[in-house]
Amino acid sequence: MRLYRKEGNTIQILCFPNENVEKGDYLQVEDPKQNKALLIQVINVQFANVPGILEELLRDSTNNGDIIHGENLDPLDVASQITLIQDARLLICKIRGTVQNGKLSVSSAWLPSRSQSNIKKLSTTTLAKLLKINDKLPIYIGDTKEFSPLKIDAAALDGSLNIVTGKKETGKSHFSKLLVLSLIEHGAPVVVLDLNGEYANLGYASDGKKNQHYSKIHVLTPAGNFKVTLPQIGLRVMFNILIHALNLPGTSAREFRRTWRLLKKQGKLNLHELGEAIRNLQCNYHVKDALFSRYYALVNSGFFTDNPSEAMTLEDCFRKIQTGGALAVNLRDTSFVDRQIVVEYLLGKLVEMLTGWKLKAVFLFAEEAHLYLRETYWNDIVTRMRHFGVFTTFVTNQPDTIRENIYRQVDNIFLFNFTSERDLETVSRAAKVDSETVKSIARDLPPQYCLLLGRVVKDFPIVVKVRALDVQTMGQTRLFFN
Amino acid sequence: MVNLLIEQYQYTTTPKYNFPHVIQHLQLPQHFIQLSLRTLRNIRKGNLFHPYVATQPVNPTAQMLEEPKRLFTEPSKPTLRLIPIKPIKDDTPIIAVDVSSMKIGETDIGILCAIRAAIVWKQRHRYRYVRLGPFPFHITEENKNEVYHLFRQYSFFEQPTLDYSSTLSLLYAPTRLGALFERWLQMGIAVQTRNGIILWDGSLTAGTQDAPVTVMSQLLETARNRSNTVLAFTKTTRLRLFGYRLTDHVGKCVPPCLVEINGYPIALSNTMRLLGNIYVAKLSEGNCSFRLDIDRKLPQEKAVEATQRLVGNDILLQSYPETLRLAHIYSTFTANEVIGIQRFLVQTHKLKIITRPNVRRLLFGPFGKGPES
Repeated sequence: MRLYRKEGNTIQILCFPNENVEKGDYLQVEDPKQNKALLIQVINVQFANVPGILEELLRDSTNNGDIIHGENLDPLDVASQITLIQDARLLICKIRGTVQNGKLSVSSAWLPSRSQSNIKKLSTTTLAKLLKINDKLPIYIGDTKEFSPLKIDAAALDGSLNIVTGKKETGKSHFSKLLVLSLIEHGAPVVVLDLNGEYANLGYASDGKKNQHYSKIHVLTPAGNFKVTLPQIGLRVMFNILIHALNLPGTSAREFRRTWRLLKKQGKLNLHELGEAIRNLQCNYHVKDALFSRYYALVNSGFFTDNPSEAMTLEDCFRKIQTGGALAVNLRDTSFVDRQIVVEYLLGKLVEMLTGWKLKAVFLFAEEAHLYLRETYWNDIVTRMRHFGVFTTFVTNQPDTIRENIYRQVDNIFLFNFTSERDLETVSRAAKVDSETVKSIARDLPPQYCLLLGRVVKDFPIVVKVRALDVQTMGQTRLFFN
Repeated sequence: MVNLLIEQYQYTTTPKYNFPHVIQHLQLPQHFIQLSLRTLRNIRKGNLFHPYVATQPVNPTAQMLEEPKRLFTEPSKPTLRLIPIKPIKDDTPIIAVDVSSMKIGETDIGILCAIRAAIVWKQRHRYRYVRLGPFPFHITEENKNEVYHLFRQYSFFEQPTLDYSSTLSLLYAPTRLGALFERWLQMGIAVQTRNGIILWDGSLTAGTQDAPVTVMSQLLETARNRSNTVLAFTKTTRLRLFGYRLTDHVGKCVPPCLVEINGYPIALSNTMRLLGNIYVAKLSEGNCSFRLDIDRKLPQEKAVEATQRLVGNDILLQSYPETLRLAHIYSTFTANEVIGIQRFLVQTHKLKIITRPNVRRLLFGPFGKGPES
């Protein structure tokens, strides 16, 4: 390999086909005189623009089919060198930093010698050591191209906003499950908004037997084992549900608040009494109708109960996972409105507990959050709630559903394959590396390969093959012909 | 070290190529490969190598080196005769040969060049080719005479008698060695082929150092004896007639046709002879016409018939036979191939690459546009 050209942050390396270099690989351009090396990453591999190549291709193209056949008698085997040049590659690389005396810095204000430099591949394992990315709480996420395990530091997820994204069937859900289980192993409390009921069986191995996570996975099914009484909810959360999930107009909301407070004062705060109170309300019939329709929506959700023994206390649940565990809220068989009711309740309670220091912090995994989170909650989760200790990981195959102001605050992106230019453009705007890197590498990632970007890799993008999990993932699509 | 490396080469000639029956016994002489290796042997590890950077061959052709400019001199009174051509389709084999030579670079003691040949033939509606080479040579002032002698020996089967060192310039060595290699191939094809049309690139002018009258006559005779006809196409001729370029005389003639030129001397000088009758060939639609030399010793009707068979059995684009065009394409070096050969020489002989300053550039800056010395 030879250093060919530098333009801005881009370096071009000339490479022969026998030098096996792929997108995502790191190279070290060592300048022996300066006693330091430039660390660069290959983001694209092209053919070198060798003069005369067009003539050769045109000449050989007459060789196709039956038109012309021939033999080349080349006893000195000069042609092997000609072929080598025909196949010469140009590696488009981005400068990532400098290695000097075994230490890595992000400095790139120098240029190695074109004639004297030695270029060699830097294994991901060596890079990980230089970066010290698996220091304290290692999470084994997969294997590098050299088949060595790659571990990231769970601490890099602490206090972070993360996005797991990629197109369908590339391994996003699998990866987020891996993160969930790894965080649990390190004693972290995790809440999963499980849209498709995929996390319900994380406590079981693929053979159906209970695994080591069994006791730490708690599945909450709204209207099943997850019901609440009205006093548990409180007026503030109920108000949020009525206004944001059920779109109750302001006038009706005021009437509802009055009714709620009256019932609470009388010690009659339950569903039955609430229904009766609305029925007996002396007010505008439009208001009454509005309150009735919302009341029946609450009743029909099945999420509310008047029986305290059926109700579940969220505080108790969080207590169970405080030293490591996951609450998987199974939203699979829940309607759109009911989903919003449940999520409003859950997040409201979560903030309540965090502000009251009943909970230190929680990792929230939200799959396809646009399907149940109201617009305003996005900002709330990533800004306000983050300060309370809600560290969110969004999992989505539609990166454009996440707003740009949220992207700006992202700390880590776990990027799987995308082919759509629009999706790549969206993600590349958020990533802490140049957009060329994101677009070029992500476009060619095979399934189960992930490009790690952000704090977890100290802003040195790394490609990893995500490891398999011995759990019942249930994330596979149901098929008709299978 | 380098010598040992070279001695390790074990090259043998391919006993039988995938030629049609007519030329299937043509073999690459072991001598030729050995000669290439022998010249490379005098490269020593660490010899300086200044790669030649031209992307197009700039060597003059052998024809250009020696073609007379004035043929139709006073008092000769040349006449022109139009011969219409009626294509004959009879699957006559058409064989073309072309050789390219290229200066690859310079060492501190000589030049490195490469030679490659291509033979293309058409039979039963199919084109086939054999490419020979590239063969690199290291020509120095010390070995040029020996190399040239050996080339002549292999090509002309003559014993070296003369000393060519004063007349053989290193500058033109690639072209002249290429011409000798071409003669050898022409002889091989003439011997191995029967009832075919053999296309040469160039004219049938003999009497130059690399095309002696005896050798050229023998070549044509060999071809004739095997019922072959040699048609030699000159792409660019400098001959003029009545003040105009020779090829301009076809004017508005309807193709395919030949314009026969009569009334010029056969002997151009004491040594140079025209071994062919000169025609201007306009064999298809288009703007181009070419000087065509056809063996003088063939009866004229045979010569015309051979042209008719060529027109009937080969594709002609701008009056130029496709077989000969392909031979040229397959033998020509592309810029990439030149780089490949340079790399081969550097790798196998551990040459140290240097870039000599371009004197013109140094002196004249952006105005120094001429070739490097």
